[in-house]
Amino acid sequence: MRITVFGCELSGLVTAGSLAHTGNEVIAIPVGMAKAEDLRQGILPRDEPGLNQLIISQVKEGRLTFSHDWSEGIQHGEIYILSMPSWRADKAELVVESIGQSASRDVLIVNQSTFPIGTADRFEAAVKLAFSQRGLVAKVAVASMPEFISEGSAISDFSKPSRVVLGCESEEAIAMIRDLMRPFNHVTDQVKIMSTRAAEYTKYAVNALLATRISLVNELANNAEHFNIDIEEVRQGLGSDSRIGFSYLFPGCGFGGPSFAADVQSLVGTFQSKGYDADLLKAVLQNNETQKEVMFRKAWRFFKNDLKGLKIAIWGLSFKPNTATVDNAPSVKTIEALVAQGAEVIAYDPKANDAFKEYWGHKAGVTLVSEMYEALEQADALMILTEWRRFWSPDYARMFELMKRPVIFDGRNIYEHDVLVHHGFRHFGVGRGEVV
Amino acid sequence: MGVETSSAWQALQLHSDSGMGSVHLSKLFQDASRQENYSLELSDVYVDFSKNRITQETLQLLIDLAEQQKLPKEIHRLMTGEHVNDTEDRAALHTALRALGKDVSGYAEVVQPEVEQVLQEMAVLTEKIRSGHWRGYSGKPITDVVNIGVGGSDLGPLMITHSLQTISSPINLHFISSIDGTQTSNLLRGLKQETTLFILASKSFTTIDTLSNAETAMDWLKECIKDEHIMFSQHFIGVSTKPDKMTEWGIPPDNQLLFWDWVGGRYSLWSSIGFPIALKIGMDGFRELLQGAHEMDQHFATADLQKNIPVILALIDIWNINFLNIHDKAILPYDARLRYLPAYLEQLVMESNGKSVARSGEAVPYKTCPVLWGEVGPNAQHAFYQLLHQGTQAVMCDFIAPVERDDFDADSHTERDESLRHQHELALANCFAQSRVLMLGDDAIPQALKASFDSPFKHYSGNQPSNTILIRTISAKTLGMLIAMYEHKTFVESVVWEINPFDQWGVELGKLIAKETYSAIKDKPLADSFDSSTKGLIDRVAK
Repeated sequence: MRITVFGCELSGLVTAGSLAHTGNEVIAIPVGMAKAEDLRQGILPRDEPGLNQLIISQVKEGRLTFSHDWSEGIQHGEIYILSMPSWRADKAELVVESIGQSASRDVLIVNQSTFPIGTADRFEAAVKLAFSQRGLVAKVAVASMPEFISEGSAISDFSKPSRVVLGCESEEAIAMIRDLMRPFNHVTDQVKIMSTRAAEYTKYAVNALLATRISLVNELANNAEHFNIDIEEVRQGLGSDSRIGFSYLFPGCGFGGPSFAADVQSLVGTFQSKGYDADLLKAVLQNNETQKEVMFRKAWRFFKNDLKGLKIAIWGLSFKPNTATVDNAPSVKTIEALVAQGAEVIAYDPKANDAFKEYWGHKAGVTLVSEMYEALEQADALMILTEWRRFWSPDYARMFELMKRPVIFDGRNIYEHDVLVHHGFRHFGVGRGEVV
Repeated sequence: MGVETSSAWQALQLHSDSGMGSVHLSKLFQDASRQENYSLELSDVYVDFSKNRITQETLQLLIDLAEQQKLPKEIHRLMTGEHVNDTEDRAALHTALRALGKDVSGYAEVVQPEVEQVLQEMAVLTEKIRSGHWRGYSGKPITDVVNIGVGGSDLGPLMITHSLQTISSPINLHFISSIDGTQTSNLLRGLKQETTLFILASKSFTTIDTLSNAETAMDWLKECIKDEHIMFSQHFIGVSTKPDKMTEWGIPPDNQLLFWDWVGGRYSLWSSIGFPIALKIGMDGFRELLQGAHEMDQHFATADLQKNIPVILALIDIWNINFLNIHDKAILPYDARLRYLPAYLEQLVMESNGKSVARSGEAVPYKTCPVLWGEVGPNAQHAFYQLLHQGTQAVMCDFIAPVERDDFDADSHTERDESLRHQHELALANCFAQSRVLMLGDDAIPQALKASFDSPFKHYSGNQPSNTILIRTISAKTLGMLIAMYEHKTFVESVVWEINPFDQWGVELGKLIAKETYSAIKDKPLADSFDSSTKGLIDRVAK
């Protein structure tokens, strides 16, 4: 099929590359800062495992091209895919307008972006209106097929989806999209058909539910320690209940990222703007903001409310492992809090040092190092804020040797308390370890 | 022999006796240009004093009185830091607090560096708290700040922060003042120890009202905080002229904001007592407040007496009180944001000038400070305006209103903003209507309706004097100007009456006797020597 993808952020690139890989002829059109000539050479805005190779190979085989020419894209596509960040709804609006003005045959738009509920209906009406003004008789359908990819596993999330949520009112369009998704859906039928609004709502609802789950587990963990309960034991008990399961059950120092919390916030805004309740979700978001500083608070109490002049080592700046993004990451709030109290921060992240440097600018108080043990020299404490694999089994003896005080604040519960104590460390986790 | 025997005073008395004492305002307003000649303007403040029973001759005689009382010299003495508070032998340099280093001389100039120093210390604490980097004992940011203070340590910050309520603030502010524990216990029920910070504001740091509330706050904090050092360093800030007393109470030096004995309590919102204001609107906003007041100070210090707003307003009050025998004054703001302004001015005016002994030590034979009270005008219309319109005693009124609201965009036409705009116009219409009816009485009744008012119970005699003070918007700057205007007006009156407006000996005895009475409540026999009424009352409450 001939496909045009509007938007070359992570989701757009994965979609374009994966669809080209299964034989489609794809034109991908960046609508943000990215440049077609860079993308063509595999210079990507995101450092996603496997993505670079996928793009380069598909460009080489001629099934994937990048262009800034919207009208070329509109002429080309049998299906238009909108794949933009939620804050780019204005661009999507323009794309839809252009399609209405210049498309000359049946139109099928598939929206993957997280835009407010009712967007698909609005887009469909806009194209239909433009067609009728032009006197053009053609079929128009706008479907909602929200993306559920995660940074770090984006390609396999797209190509081996646990389900595809498809909101669409037209049988003909459903058949076309089913056919497009067939290579990724051939073991068992994973496509869930629903109304476009239900599909849009589902995307928000998934994030809302996951966010709620994390915040609830965090609250349980924070309080467990006051009763001398190890939350890890509780987690095992909870997760083994088949009604609950293990995923998204790890307590820690809060969730971040560019879109997760923002999407929940946007849902809260949608509810409230209509005068409806969003008390629980508001509490979930508030709870998470507070949780981002949980390790700061432990250090604050451990050091008797005086962090002035202390050297605090940080391992992990990105909002989760395998990404270079620090947007809304717990590290940002934690480091701001530490520096405001006069502490000196020495931080290491395998990928996100540059992103953090860009965020932090020229303000004083933070030194970024390119080797994990280097951060520990003469440190008064170490904080783990992202659970990168390389932090899980470090050289404890070397750490003990380097640090001025053997104190570890484990914001991701990656260490065993007894093991750290055995190596001479004081250990504070989230709902585990020593209580302060 | 006081001012009442002076030639200028006698001339005013004669002026009143020979007709002006009984002239009706509606007659004076036959002059169509009256408003032009009886109003003054200074940047964002416009004062219409035309609805007073005065002529140009009255004004001239009043100016003569002011000159006779050497007002310009007294203003100079006040603002250069001479000891105008003679009974306590100290200066009253509130103007130096808001000079921001400019236009000052004498001792007012000498103190500028320390004033600036404290402003900078305030800025550091303000920024730390507003940015969320002031942490409670558990490490959470402070979200609620409770100001514990009474009198000047309460009313000023309360009035200003309430007036600026449309400015959003990262901090929830609360005020506790009353010595009974009700305010405190009600408030603390809704707060959390880990996110609450207390400001103890007391000039002397011995005020029993404040310290007893502070003890209650401390007991509440101790429910959660075991380490006293942490409790004091993270949950208390002290504002006082007495660093030793603050330290003794437990407040660490880094958490102390100072002011000076030459700042009177009721003139102290410009000092570190204004710290809650800075927390509410930020330090830039606080400096705008000071700047507004400074602008009024400069006007007061340099404008001719004839064009000097505080001077003219004070002299008109003198005329009303001493020559027209009007002894009540109502403060009537037409915007609920100014709700605490009457209470604030009650203290400023009545604690300053509610005195009957001249600086000479002799009793004064003339009236001084009027009884002053007030309420948000539109509410008071449904309460005591009946008395203003048809009571047996005359009352002079100050109507105060903002010309516009600036808490929404001028181009915004949302439903909420439209209804705010509409209600604002309604409030102004009421304000202007009331002062007009108070002035004209029956003459305000439209011809077509005269018949329906033909009843002795529907008669309005009018002739009630009033000022209308319009400020452009309610902002830090205009509030600074407005409050400084009232301060200086109060001072000018004291100069004419020859009294010291900066002491308050009248409140001392009651404090002393309260201590004795408290002992008697705890130990009943101590009341045996008291009068039978007090004894009887103690009997009913002593356990």
